[in-house]
Amino acid sequence: MSTSSEQHATLPDDVALHARPAATFVREASQFGGEIVVAANGKRANAKSILEVLALGATGGTELTLTASGDDATAAVDRLVALVPRLD
Amino acid sequence: MADVTTEGGANGFVGLVLVSHSPSIAEGLAELAAQVAGPSVPIVAIGGAADGSLGTDGGKVLDALRKAAAGQGAVVLMDLGSSVLSVRAAQAELSAEELERLVIADAPLVEGTIAAAVTASTGASPQEIAAAAREARSVNKL
Repeated sequence: MSTSSEQHATLPDDVALHARPAATFVREASQFGGEIVVAANGKRANAKSILEVLALGATGGTELTLTASGDDATAAVDRLVALVPRLD
Repeated sequence: MADVTTEGGANGFVGLVLVSHSPSIAEGLAELAAQVAGPSVPIVAIGGAADGSLGTDGGKVLDALRKAAAGQGAVVLMDLGSSVLSVRAAQAELSAEELERLVIADAPLVEGTIAAAVTASTGASPQEIAAAAREARSVNKL
């Protein structure tokens, strides 16, 4: 059964979603099967695409909206929401 | 000039082969990709002509592709011109089994390599990695 899930998470004040934190985020998102979208600053990105995630230009303290669909949607969003505030 | 810049071999991750006219570009890019993607993805940087000048060394490219094909497989990224030609020439020398484990990515070198390295670090297949590299042609930066 397909489900969908949406939650918000805020980047640490001193951590922008630049190359290394974005790669950590994308690696985590890639463990899940369904589609995951991360939105910030009015832009949307495939959470499994490093280039799209970097193009969000999310700076420290930015609130991200995470939306997932598919069987593991809830687990995916839970995991990413827990990860985002811990990125460094 | 070191060709292998990260741990290589049989760790289960598909590798990358980077081919540039410039050894500095190939090695610097390998260093950047390894830092972004972590140490698990084997990355081989091939740059420069046989005499060390800017250019490509067909023999070195062939050796690198052959070695990469012997492992878990690899995705090959190139800058342009003779880098592309030397990869194509090397493909003609490889066996069907070797060719099966290599995917040549038609992508911008820097952005494509970063996308490929991060995707490879998730344990993806050569086809998935090359698809991530090709996205670099269409994803805007701003």
